[in-house]
Amino acid sequence: MLKHLFTLIWNRKRANALLIVEIFLAFVVLFVVGSLLVYRWQNYRAPLGFAYEQVWVVDLDPGMQPKAERYATQQQVIQRIKSLPGVRAVTRTSSNTPFSNSHNSSDINRPGEHIRRPASNVYDLDDAAGDVLSIPVEEGRWFDRRDDGALVAVISHDMKELLFPNETALGKLVEANGNRRIVGVTAPYRADGDFADPKQAIFLRNGLQDTTFDHLQTLLLRVQPGAGGALEKQISADIRAIGAGWSSNITPLSEAREKQMKTVLTPLVALVITCVFLIVNVALGLFGVLWQTINQRRSEIGLRRAIGASAGGISGQILGEILVVATFGLALGLLAAAQFPLLGVLGVRVGVYLTAMALAAGLVYLLTVVCALYPSRLAAGIQPAVALREE
Amino acid sequence: MLWNYLKIAWKVLLRRKFFTAISLFGISFTLMILLVVYALFDYTVGPHQPEMRTDRLLFASRMEYQYKDGGVNRSSLGYAFLDRHARPLRTPENVSISESNWSEAVAYVGNQTLKLDQKRTDSEFWQVLNFTFVAGRPYNLREVRDGAHVAVINETTSRHYFGTTQGVVGRPLVLDSRAYQVVGVVRDVPLLRFSCYADVWLPVTTTTDDLRNPDYMGRYQVILLARSAADVPRVQQEYEQMIAHQPVPDPKQFKQIGSHALLLRTAVLSRFARGSQGPGSDQPILRLMLMLALLFMLLPALNLVNINVSRTLERSSEIGVRKAFGATAGRLVGQFLVENIFLTLVGGVLGLALAAGALHLLNESQFLPYSEFGLNGRVFGMALGIVLFFGVLSGAYPAYKMSKLQAVKALKGDTAA
Repeated sequence: MLKHLFTLIWNRKRANALLIVEIFLAFVVLFVVGSLLVYRWQNYRAPLGFAYEQVWVVDLDPGMQPKAERYATQQQVIQRIKSLPGVRAVTRTSSNTPFSNSHNSSDINRPGEHIRRPASNVYDLDDAAGDVLSIPVEEGRWFDRRDDGALVAVISHDMKELLFPNETALGKLVEANGNRRIVGVTAPYRADGDFADPKQAIFLRNGLQDTTFDHLQTLLLRVQPGAGGALEKQISADIRAIGAGWSSNITPLSEAREKQMKTVLTPLVALVITCVFLIVNVALGLFGVLWQTINQRRSEIGLRRAIGASAGGISGQILGEILVVATFGLALGLLAAAQFPLLGVLGVRVGVYLTAMALAAGLVYLLTVVCALYPSRLAAGIQPAVALREE
Repeated sequence: MLWNYLKIAWKVLLRRKFFTAISLFGISFTLMILLVVYALFDYTVGPHQPEMRTDRLLFASRMEYQYKDGGVNRSSLGYAFLDRHARPLRTPENVSISESNWSEAVAYVGNQTLKLDQKRTDSEFWQVLNFTFVAGRPYNLREVRDGAHVAVINETTSRHYFGTTQGVVGRPLVLDSRAYQVVGVVRDVPLLRFSCYADVWLPVTTTTDDLRNPDYMGRYQVILLARSAADVPRVQQEYEQMIAHQPVPDPKQFKQIGSHALLLRTAVLSRFARGSQGPGSDQPILRLMLMLALLFMLLPALNLVNINVSRTLERSSEIGVRKAFGATAGRLVGQFLVENIFLTLVGGVLGLALAAGALHLLNESQFLPYSEFGLNGRVFGMALGIVLFFGVLSGAYPAYKMSKLQAVKALKGDTAA
């Protein structure tokens, strides 16, 4: 039966060529859009590894103040902010704050090891950062006073898996600006944002002796729930009062997150709208062509009914035929889609491509079945006597 | 003749309403999506307020250092450098130096925080660009030289801060705890106009930045106004010569430095392109956009071809009669092309209406701050072009197929040809 259907379609391949090309294109579109959506969705589902509510970013701009004086002024600012009633904790950090689209990445290895690995995110933070961002620690501990004078680091779960796959990482050394002893392992930390690829992270402690200002001019603070414009106004006024010519820019992390989401989601939404339109287009076209074909093949169908084919058999044949056409289109499409992971076109994980392929193939079959249902019922309803009299 | 074709086309369209609806849906939505994209494109790089004279304006906002080992370091330009070397250029009619990006400033209305995008400029900025002043005037050369605390604000800021756009001139605006006197109110400038967008414009001398720092790199851009469109290449040449004469800052580390004065379209598009930033650097990305548009049209066009083939084959007896009475294949192809173009034109009108609706929705949602997307002559022209292209693209194959039908077979209703 199946072989028979394939022969039928193969014999009419010229007539079906356009349909096959259309299904092929529809599959490729669904596959590409599906890959991107699955990729983003999987990333979105993974936990961020920190809490962003009630965390504010304070960007400091020292203006024309001489470089030597900046550190001292910043310390005064931090002391002042800490003493404000609405503020729980303050940490100094470099500009790669969560959701900022600013990255500081580098190759991190074990000492003496030279293996090329994907680059890691490097974060410079203080003891208070664990509280400010509520970073969950899986093993060991976050930085504290005990680390004064020592070179230490905390790494994320994914970095531990990469560098110390089958052993404990605590107490081992990593090479990041000198050899550092690992004191803790956190859950995966994804400050690049909800939709970004998970990337292994390493946290470096700003030592007390680290009196440079330039790469640590941003503050992160955790505020009391409900703190708002009044506190913001207070902080920016205080900063200006302490440092002559200083200015600041205060952004809640939730606001930065929304902004980042908007920039990531906009192209995706546009893509999905376009994709839906293309698919609806294909569906309508398929429906129209099938309907037309049924009308053209009335006599053939009438004859089959006359010599004993059941209504179910007829509609089954019509459905089967269109599914075979879809399979031809899909085979071509899968060939094209297989190039994507081989060439790494979209730069997503291989598993994502496979999921997207399965999804797209399923959707194409669903689409063809839905479009063929009505025409096949129409075909099944043809009365042999009427159809044959027309001949 | 043509009139008869059109009448036949109309009758055919009405005969099979379902097919007509499918075709029209495909055409109009394809066109809508392409038109919305083109309108966004036109809105970003076409001549719109305040960059009206796009054929004469040149923007230089990037300085690149090429490392000896192949890397490139890009940044905006330094103020003192531009002031000393770009301002005295002889070929441009006028030269303006301003901050290349906007920065955020905070104003408070009661306990409410108002985040405003500020840009610091010189006084020439207002002569080179065509802002529409609702009230007041731009700040002048003397005010910039004296570092006067004056500001030009846009309508929305005026409404948010003062509650009105009337009688605002002369009132104080407290920005980052410094008081500025408002001297003018301009119409909102959309965010997509990177080079001149802001909520508040201030004299460049009010900055805390060191304007005497002689580094090539800094936070500034220069806008050059050529005397005429034909003069643009000469201005570009003079600018590049000026750059070529500058000594390389650290010859051990860097091979050479580069900066280009670009037309708006090139300047905007080359932000998205990797590699060099020269005058022709927008070509690859334009080609890519064209290819994507063609690819996008492929599916709906194929669909239309499929439907047209079924539709023409249905009319095989009509074709047989016409052939039997001596109509040539060329004639018939012509007739079917005209019919198809007629159909796509009807779809085009629908598409334009849909696009207008979609753009209106985009504007209403204020998805991009201060956007006022709309249809204009260029967009109409583009629509007509797309429709004709689409009509020919989707009509040619069915017409060819139909013209090959043999009269005898066609009359018998045999469509297997």
